Amino acid sequence: MVAQLILDGLVTGLLLALPALALTLTFAILHFPNFAIGAMLTLGSYAAWIANSLLGIPLAMAAVLAALAMAVVAMLCDFLVFARLRDRGSMTLLVASMGVSLILENVCRFSFGNSTRNFAIEVARPIRWHGLRINHEQLITAVTVVACVILMQMLLHASPLGRAMRAVADNPSLAAVRGVERQTVSSITWCLAGVLSALSGVLAGMDRAVDPLLGWNYQIPIFAAAILGGLGSPTGAIVGALVIGLAEELSSLVLPTNYRQIVSFAVILMLLLVRSQGLFGGKAVRK
Amino acid sequence: MTGVAPALSVRGLRSGYGNGGDIVCGIDLDQAPESILAVIGPNGSGKSTFVKTLAGLLRPRAGTVVVTGTDVSHLSPARRVASGLAYVPQEANVFGNLTIGENLKLATEFLSGRAGVGPAQRQQVMALFPEIAVRPKLLAGNLSGGQRQMLAFACALLANPEVLLLDEPSAGLSPKFVGETMEAVTRVRESGVTVLLVEQNVAAALRVADEVMVLVAGRRSLRVPARDVSSADLAALFFAKAG
Amino acid sequence: MIAYLTTLLVLVAVSALVGLALNLQWGVAGLVNFGVVGFVALGAYATAVLSPPLGWFAGMVAAAALCAVASTALALLSIRLEENYLAIVTIGFGEAVRILLLNETWLTGGALGIADIPRPFVSLVSPARYDVVLLCFSLALVAIVFTVLEMLIRSPFGRVLRAVRDDATVAAALGKPVLMLRIKAFAIGGAVMGVAGALHAFYLTYIDPSQFTSIITAYAFMAVIAGGRGSNVGLLFGAGTIMALLEATRFLKDAVEMIDGTQLAALRLGLIGLGIVLLLLLRPQGLFSEPRRRVRDFFPNDGGPN
Repeated sequence: MVAQLILDGLVTGLLLALPALALTLTFAILHFPNFAIGAMLTLGSYAAWIANSLLGIPLAMAAVLAALAMAVVAMLCDFLVFARLRDRGSMTLLVASMGVSLILENVCRFSFGNSTRNFAIEVARPIRWHGLRINHEQLITAVTVVACVILMQMLLHASPLGRAMRAVADNPSLAAVRGVERQTVSSITWCLAGVLSALSGVLAGMDRAVDPLLGWNYQIPIFAAAILGGLGSPTGAIVGALVIGLAEELSSLVLPTNYRQIVSFAVILMLLLVRSQGLFGGKAVRK
Repeated sequence: MTGVAPALSVRGLRSGYGNGGDIVCGIDLDQAPESILAVIGPNGSGKSTFVKTLAGLLRPRAGTVVVTGTDVSHLSPARRVASGLAYVPQEANVFGNLTIGENLKLATEFLSGRAGVGPAQRQQVMALFPEIAVRPKLLAGNLSGGQRQMLAFACALLANPEVLLLDEPSAGLSPKFVGETMEAVTRVRESGVTVLLVEQNVAAALRVADEVMVLVAGRRSLRVPARDVSSADLAALFFAKAG
Repeated sequence: MIAYLTTLLVLVAVSALVGLALNLQWGVAGLVNFGVVGFVALGAYATAVLSPPLGWFAGMVAAAALCAVASTALALLSIRLEENYLAIVTIGFGEAVRILLLNETWLTGGALGIADIPRPFVSLVSPARYDVVLLCFSLALVAIVFTVLEMLIRSPFGRVLRAVRDDATVAAALGKPVLMLRIKAFAIGGAVMGVAGALHAFYLTYIDPSQFTSIITAYAFMAVIAGGRGSNVGLLFGAGTIMALLEATRFLKDAVEMIDGTQLAALRLGLIGLGIVLLLLLRPQGLFSEPRRRVRDFFPNDGGPN
């Protein structure tokens, strides 16, 4: 039924919104697309799983711990790798982020193998509402993501830190001579990216299950969402994520479910043909 | 200049880009407080590089920069602002994606403990540039060239600098605006700030400058009071062979 | 032992071909291709499907052509945009290929794959001697590709690509002809990856999707970085060294009882990732540096800097 697909699509889209937001933030402020975004999502979900299933901590608290852990990991990645390569151009950063992606993903695989893991949460019956089936994970996803998005927008537009971040995104050297330390903003951006990745990892782990490829399976939809919205535009990332979520769910009307991944790829191809800067983005042409 | 400590003092400054050679090849300079120094020279003489090195955007390879007694040579640009050195770049000198109000707020939000930054300073600066305070919600990118210049000046001044570095403030402006800009520079000097001004438009610069420094091939080749400069001297210097 | 060495050398040959291809695309032309494994898989499957009716040689050529076409299409879409977009599109391509291979069972056999792939020159010798023939074939293929690519790199084509690789402003100033050159470089690289896939298919005679995983892409990047971007000789050394190190981890598995197959795979991939990061940080010019280009190489008629 189409209404159910639309609901599912919106929730999938909301789930994509967090990592898409993380991707677009790091792109805006650090000027390269972080190919480790999927792996960060995976690592975040494993961190929460360790806290939750192995240590017995309730999932909400485990998610917070995972967010803190990923914030630290993300800052470390910046400090050890990305900040040092900043002057070498975005190509080097691209490849370096792929290397980081391999490391993060395989730390998970080495430690816990390829088998799927699950969070220790109670299974609850879905809610029925006007003929639609809504399960608890979807509600939690919706509430969490909407709260995060509102907080992020408030941060970006109504706080000094947000102004500083947008200033560095606009013109890093001008920001420097207005008193904004670029490295500080850079570290904070990675921190936020880590938190967003971890939260989305928990939500994804609830939706599917925790395994080393969890984040990789979201990698292309995340990129599609961010590009659709315009790389560098936070609002765009959210809108793009919703659209991709809807597209993926609605595609099951015409395609077998195994092909959902191709939907995002097709969206990217179409965007490149028609409007590469996406809905809200700036010019994407090679300078 | 006897007896008064210089506001800006530079010794043996050298800098360049990447692995290339020195573009700034050893410059010494003392500038008296509340004066306007115009730095002029032919294309490629290193004027822009010089002022970027002073601002901290380029790390010096040798030499020192001292602002009212504080050695800022190894400070990041952000910390130099906190030490009293402000800089207005030539292009891209406002944040186009932020509103006027946000640009102005940003100018003072990250100056940890800089003295003299506050509502009184803000009032003083706004009095110098009344046009920009009117529409704080307007995106800075939608301003005209001249208005952006004014906003850029204001943002730099809000930091209550001792020394203000200006990189070709008249570039790209119509003649009317050039006059207004230079007049603004004079008002800035009147308010107690020392101004170092890199300019391609020599005539405009000479009209407001107290002193002139000529840079050729990264070296200082002349330093005189503005009234003593004749066009003959300048022509000889500009077109002379380097070194 | 001989059999093991033969296996190893053929694997090295396949990896060397992939590395040489990426070296042209990324090392020389500066085009980031994160979908390497997709092109290799495409080449292998094209060979598997087309060789039985058309013969091994036609199958291999068809594989190369198909990969060249796919590469050209992707490059055309994204060549005018920042390099990020080509990287993203190639990842998408790699995933799309993987999904298609798994699901279009009528063509690809799905997870079961394709068996009984014909081999080159198989009728010439007895089965017992065939390994040697295949080994010679592999080495000859690598030698031919190496020579051709090396000639390309030293030609004006290669010089222009290098000159614009790192300097976007120059590239923009030179405009359209340079874009066409870059697309050609990408297509040639794609074709070579197709040939690598064909060799893989010939060697194993049986292919399935599980043979084509991201380690192929990761390994290719590390080989190119280790060899020094743009240097084919360095690449061969880099590829060989990394392969040797990776094979050494196999003995690790036997030595340390606790490591199982999955962990070994994870260790390899993780070490490659670490290797890429460390090389980029500490030795970006590669373990064997690119020969220093002199001004004369770019401007042969000029008297040099004044």
